[in-house]
Amino acid sequence: MTSETKGSAFADATQAKGEAFIELTDVDKFFGDFQALKDINMKVGKQEVVVVIGPSGSGKSTLIRCINRLEKHDRGRIIVDGIELSDDIRNIQEVRRETGMVFQQFNLFPHLTVLDNVILAPREVRHTPKKEAENLGMEMLERVKIPEQARKYPGQLSGGQQQRVAIARSLAMRPKVMLFDEPTSALDPEMIKEVLDVMVELAEGGMTMIVVTHEMGFARAVANRVVFMSDGQIVEVGTPEHFFTDPQEDRTKLFLSQIL
Amino acid sequence: MTAVARPTSSSTASGWIRGRLFPNVASGIVTVLLFPLLIYLAYRAFLFIVVNGRWDVIRRNLNLFMQGTFPRDEQWRILVQIILMAMAVGVGGATASAAAADRTREAGIATRRQRPTATLRRFGPLILFVLVLLYFATTANPWLFVLAVVSAGLLGSAARFLPPRLRHLGWLIAVLALIVGFQAVSGTTGRSWLATAILVSIGVWLSVRQEGLSPLARLATKTALVALAAGVVYGIYTVVTVPGIGWDKWSGLHLTLWVSALAIVLSFPLGLLLALARRSTLPALRVLATGYIELIRGVPLITLLFMGQFILGFMLPAGSSLSSISRAIAAMTLFTAAYVAEIVRGGLQALPYGQTEAAQALGLTPGRTMRLIILPQALRAVIPAMVGQFISIFKDSSLLYILAINEFLGVRSLVHAQADFRSVAHAETLVFVALGYWAFAYSMSRESQRLERRLRVGL
Repeated sequence: MTSETKGSAFADATQAKGEAFIELTDVDKFFGDFQALKDINMKVGKQEVVVVIGPSGSGKSTLIRCINRLEKHDRGRIIVDGIELSDDIRNIQEVRRETGMVFQQFNLFPHLTVLDNVILAPREVRHTPKKEAENLGMEMLERVKIPEQARKYPGQLSGGQQQRVAIARSLAMRPKVMLFDEPTSALDPEMIKEVLDVMVELAEGGMTMIVVTHEMGFARAVANRVVFMSDGQIVEVGTPEHFFTDPQEDRTKLFLSQIL
Repeated sequence: MTAVARPTSSSTASGWIRGRLFPNVASGIVTVLLFPLLIYLAYRAFLFIVVNGRWDVIRRNLNLFMQGTFPRDEQWRILVQIILMAMAVGVGGATASAAAADRTREAGIATRRQRPTATLRRFGPLILFVLVLLYFATTANPWLFVLAVVSAGLLGSAARFLPPRLRHLGWLIAVLALIVGFQAVSGTTGRSWLATAILVSIGVWLSVRQEGLSPLARLATKTALVALAAGVVYGIYTVVTVPGIGWDKWSGLHLTLWVSALAIVLSFPLGLLLALARRSTLPALRVLATGYIELIRGVPLITLLFMGQFILGFMLPAGSSLSSISRAIAAMTLFTAAYVAEIVRGGLQALPYGQTEAAQALGLTPGRTMRLIILPQALRAVIPAMVGQFISIFKDSSLLYILAINEFLGVRSLVHAQADFRSVAHAETLVFVALGYWAFAYSMSRESQRLERRLRVGL
């Protein structure tokens, strides 16, 4: 399958233009006997926005969770900004410092205020002095448009607000790349837009992003490339334009016909 | 639009009786059967308490129950200690509640203003116990003493008005008052320096903050500072020796409270470490911790207490001697720690894994993830179970009686050795002792519920 993909009409679109910021080479990942990722090859360039779509269980989340080593890949190489992920904890920490991640379930720290959630990592990982960290935190909260909630606790906020805090929390580490793992899937419909708006702004600001999502509107509007995954493999890669108007693979067509 | 009145229960007495006691036939029958029984029990209790009880056994031995065989000339030490502790509780409580009030206000959570009677109700069981004690008092001195204790508590609670900047000062005063209070009785001789050193070390460990150091350097500085603090305490204790009454001479309720407090304070950190060790990725640590926990949990406390008396001696270096009370505290600590470890482990397991992942994704080290994210939430979740365990060890301290240590329950044997009470009034002393245990245990349970509510802010 993969060889077919490489030989498809979109061969030129499978690889990033310019230098690769994230590079996955022949990556395999197993959960017990189940192979979650099969022979994944992918490059993401600086300031590129890649949207990963596919049916559930296709390995989309596992793919991006391997990039910041929340999951350990079993074979192949993953290189982020020139650092290869290995068992060396220092490499892993370095990659995690440069990589922000936003989860489906927000995973805010419920015992800390919104501002403390945001400044925790700068304070504890980068050792930023408190005053400076607080200024930074407020700046990030303004970016996601909820500075007025700074002293509240996550439990007092709506889902959309919590997810925006989660984005601010990641941004406070000034990451070079942001990973989004179905950021709007746990949200009520009326709150999806406020989160997507923040993500669009981020993309327009030149952030490198890998987004796992079912929001095809977002993919169409913002993505530089769309990656379609099925059964742990990358089936098809292309620009949104080609992807949504002229998909090549049968599995892609089937998937798109089901969700569009 | 017509307003629909919310159905209200009738407020008349007959309405209440019909609604609560005879709502249907089955409940009516239960009421009819139980009512005479309750009245009979109340009547017997009344007879015992007011008519037949020989309460002079308490009146004449009140001192013995409270402080046991503590030398009479040195009584002032205990009084000073209690007054200082009341102050510490006042300062600590006020500081904590002021800090909590600030947090809730900033978070914009509406808080109900506390009624003045709330404090009275909060300490209800203890106030009842003190009133009973005062009822048995034969002179005016106990009244004056209680007045002094209450004033010290109120004076301490003025710490509420400290500006937020100086709040750590409140904690400092509270801890100092506790330490000085302990010393007022124990003096600075013997091993009393150890308790002080532990308190000071914990304080130093928690309060030292260093910005911009690597984790390893931070750990090293903290450890060095703690060692230094413990060394300074030891130095002070060897240079300044003030004779006091070592705890091998304490007894009565005074001893019960201190033994339980020390066992609780010491078992908590030990249990925490055991819980973490049991979840460690290092097999050696895991096996050791699991083995310890399962071994201790499989042995009755009384066995451990006896082992503490007879076996601990072989394991200590020759020439070192521990009083039987120290051995008992050690056994109680080791016992409780195993249970605390399992309770904490339950809390750790209950936490969603997403919390760990979020912390990892931010680049937090495993140690910091545990300290800043996991433990605060896990410990909050297990407060009720933890306090339950502490209440249990408080009550189990009565087992020291079997080791011939005259704690609160054991004092009874002294009382009933007196000629006047040789074979009478056992029920009276038992009821009195039970009331004492109940007052403290129930207060602990209520405080844990309060703490739970307060810490739930934002969750």
